[in-house]
Amino acid sequence: MTHPRLTHAAQGIAAVLLLMAATMKFMGDPGSVAVFTRLDMDPGGRYLIAVIELTAAILLLSPLAALGSVVATGVMCGAIIAHVTQLGLVTNDDGGRLVGLLVIVLVCVSYVLVSRRKEIPFVGSTL
Amino acid sequence: MTSTFAVDLEKMSRTANVGIVVLMGLAGAAGHFVSFYFHFLTVALFLLVLINLYWRYGQTSHTLLANFGFLPQPRYVVESVGPEFRQYLFALDTEERPFSRVERAEVYRKAKGIDSSEAFGSLLDFDRTELKLRHSFYPVDKDDLEPFNVAVGSARGIDTTYQIRRPIMISAMSYGALGQNAVRALARGAKLARTVMNTGEGGHPKYHLMEGCDLIFQMGTAKFGVRTEDGRLDEAKLAAVAALEQVKMIEIKLSQGAKPGKGGLLPKEKVTNEIAELRGVPLGQDVVSPAHHIECSCAASTVEFIGRIQRVSGLPTGIKFCLGRPDEFRALLQEMKREETLPDFITVDGGEGGTGAAPKSFMDDLGLPLFDALPLVHRILLEEGIRDRLVIFASGKLISPGKQLKALSLGADVAYSARGFLFALGCIQALQCNRNTCPVGITTHQAQLQRGLDIADKARRVANYVHALHHDHVELLAAMGRSSARQLTEENVYLPARAPFSPPTEEAP
Repeated sequence: MTHPRLTHAAQGIAAVLLLMAATMKFMGDPGSVAVFTRLDMDPGGRYLIAVIELTAAILLLSPLAALGSVVATGVMCGAIIAHVTQLGLVTNDDGGRLVGLLVIVLVCVSYVLVSRRKEIPFVGSTL
Repeated sequence: MTSTFAVDLEKMSRTANVGIVVLMGLAGAAGHFVSFYFHFLTVALFLLVLINLYWRYGQTSHTLLANFGFLPQPRYVVESVGPEFRQYLFALDTEERPFSRVERAEVYRKAKGIDSSEAFGSLLDFDRTELKLRHSFYPVDKDDLEPFNVAVGSARGIDTTYQIRRPIMISAMSYGALGQNAVRALARGAKLARTVMNTGEGGHPKYHLMEGCDLIFQMGTAKFGVRTEDGRLDEAKLAAVAALEQVKMIEIKLSQGAKPGKGGLLPKEKVTNEIAELRGVPLGQDVVSPAHHIECSCAASTVEFIGRIQRVSGLPTGIKFCLGRPDEFRALLQEMKREETLPDFITVDGGEGGTGAAPKSFMDDLGLPLFDALPLVHRILLEEGIRDRLVIFASGKLISPGKQLKALSLGADVAYSARGFLFALGCIQALQCNRNTCPVGITTHQAQLQRGLDIADKARRVANYVHALHHDHVELLAAMGRSSARQLTEENVYLPARAPFSPPTEEAP
């Protein structure tokens, strides 16, 4: 059903995009600052999310990729909630680029999540 | 000790399954109106809801999760770290009764088709009471082993002689004791594994028949399904059951290990339309199973009754009992020889026998244990010179390959197990068989508890269990230097000085 090579590719793509996102948040990229200011989470929330994204990216490249995909899926769900309820699909006049990247990451980590569900700690044996 | 675990779990799980959705909504609202940080909670709950939906409706291999959702999940988590916990805090792995965790785990692994090798040494305490099998200096090649084959009825030369091809059969469990899903999963598993299943004394085996496996029809003292209104044998009904293609043998239950010498009472509340129809009993009345067949009040009448069943059914016919007094058994055999009417098989049920419900004193204090009774029965048959004219089935906690081979060595030809197959179905030994609240949907008729018992999945596990047992039998036999189970004798079993089994003696009553 799922292919190991595809799973690895999805892990790589998601990890790279997550690393980029985390770096931008750490560097105080004006776009990131604007987004988190609108959510009333700047700067604490911005750094918190950056740390979680970084952790997920590292996990996705490690033998704990299943756990990484759970964390990353959680972050992406949160981001979707933010865009749907507060930010709108077009942020900072980017023509929806941010949401597009978000969807790519979500698709990748969902794929990893499904193909590696047996490896998720504690609950994996029942999935 | 009254436990209401299952009832409580049901209510709690319903509340919890709805509760997490409500909580997720609340967290979402808080995230929107109070602070976006609440969405951390929303996301976590969302993932939990997703996984819970999968457990409830997306999977079929975990009954508890399908029935109750995420609430019993700690069971699986705790079980994964259980050996440590139990070892340090609770019972040892070999202590639990009736079946220790070590014994159960072996069945679970076999049923799931997982390798059952162990490391660093056995957990059993050999210094005390364990019987062991004796291996040989000169093992035989596994490929040289004869395939297992026991013919039942060949001594009488009847053309309905049945060939048993698997050393382990599914012992008597009726529809009534088990729910329909459990019965059908066992029957389908028996078909897959090409073994035989006993119907139990629950009357016309409607659900046993559904999956096409070979059956032994059991007739209890109330003769459910083949009785007249006053509880005597209805020959026409018996002939009709015997004529069914799948029914290969008839077993007359004289007594059972869990409650030897005792009948039973089916309260009128439990007599549903279906039960009344299958068992052939009137609605709205308590149904009494007498302590013995009305027709069998002495050796002569018992032998006459066995002959009558053989004549009416035309099938291999045997008797099942738990041994009490060897002198009575010998007298019965002598009467059989006089009348030239021998049963085609004898099922020896150990005094440790299991059942849905039996009075504690009967379960604990009556009847010889299997490993004492079996060699005694075997020896008395030899002494009477009729051992080769019938087949012995043995039952009583024979859930592991070693125990089965010990039984085969001590005189049995084929082993029976009931509870081993319940473990293969996913039994967690919750000890609620008599309350209709079995949390894994086996001994219950509640539809919502049976929902999680997936027939196809569990049937595969039943078949896996039989195959794995068969595989281990072959390996053990080869190591013991025997080329077939028929060659096993008492010599193959090592009896420690303080073992529960003592050399067969026929003490005066």
